Amino acid sequence: MPTALPHYAFARGAIAVIPLSLACAPWGLLAGSMAIDAQFSPLEAQGLSAIVFAGAAQLVAIGMVKSGASLISIVLTTLLLTSQHLLYGMHLRPVLSPLKTRWRMSLGFLLTDEFFALVSHYDRETFNRWYALGVGLTFYIAWNLFTLAGIVLGKSIPGLDQLGLEFSIAATFIALITPVVRDVPTVVCVAVSLLFSVWLSFLHWESAVVVSGLLGMSAGYACKRLGVGQQ
Amino acid sequence: MIYIMIVAMGLVVFLNRYLFIEPRLPVRLNRGAREFLGFAVPGMLTAICGPIIFLADHQLNLSPANPYLLAGISAVALMFWTRNVLMTVLLSMALFYLFRWLL
Repeated sequence: MPTALPHYAFARGAIAVIPLSLACAPWGLLAGSMAIDAQFSPLEAQGLSAIVFAGAAQLVAIGMVKSGASLISIVLTTLLLTSQHLLYGMHLRPVLSPLKTRWRMSLGFLLTDEFFALVSHYDRETFNRWYALGVGLTFYIAWNLFTLAGIVLGKSIPGLDQLGLEFSIAATFIALITPVVRDVPTVVCVAVSLLFSVWLSFLHWESAVVVSGLLGMSAGYACKRLGVGQQ
Repeated sequence: MIYIMIVAMGLVVFLNRYLFIEPRLPVRLNRGAREFLGFAVPGMLTAICGPIIFLADHQLNLSPANPYLLAGISAVALMFWTRNVLMTVLLSMALFYLFRWLL
């Protein structure tokens, strides 16, 4: 609804992303406390969340710093680990690319898995940039506050990574995927993506997420083109 | 040194996020490409969930008594039943801890 009032649309986006922000709390705490544990200064630890703003890449990079990896290998790993965003950008191109530069840059910076999960189903008629900003900015602030909490609590949260808190992410994404699985090609897409993501991650592929996602999407698309599951 | 790493990582991530939003990039999405990208939500989000459920603590766990798997299946059922994201997340988290405690 492009005519909706900006502050109303912004609030709607901010409210929509609250469950996902809470689901990411354990990861944010972990990103803060792990960075401190790896001898980052508090400012560096916060800077990671403020500038990079990509949970998986941050946690992996902290682990790599700890094990003495080179700058080049950390940057390359980041490139591969976050390459699914290329697909998100392509998917959102029709709604984001006509915007003014400052909107495009801001929403581009805020484009996370969670942003994509909530904004992707709008088309050019129904997309509202204020709604998207509400989603993205709220999530950004939440992520940075949880990181700050992790920095402050530091090592006083023992075994945080062994509590199984990452299930909250899986639970949220499952809740977002379930309603869109309505036909055979989508079932095939999910099955292929699931199989390959587990297999490639087991083999320690850094690009496991994007490769298995692409394979799942290709399988679903092929089924649709071949008319599988149509009456 | 850490700051150089942070800025370099930030640039790389922003490049991935922004590249295809840039209007001057000469890409036009035809119908086939749009249909393909229609599978992005189930395809990509599933690929993020898979390793969380089956590779907890970097160990492959295909057992039916895997609490992540049982709670994940519960989440699908809860979503069908409640049609509410927050309710599904909260209840399946509760079930996850219940399964972990029981198994």
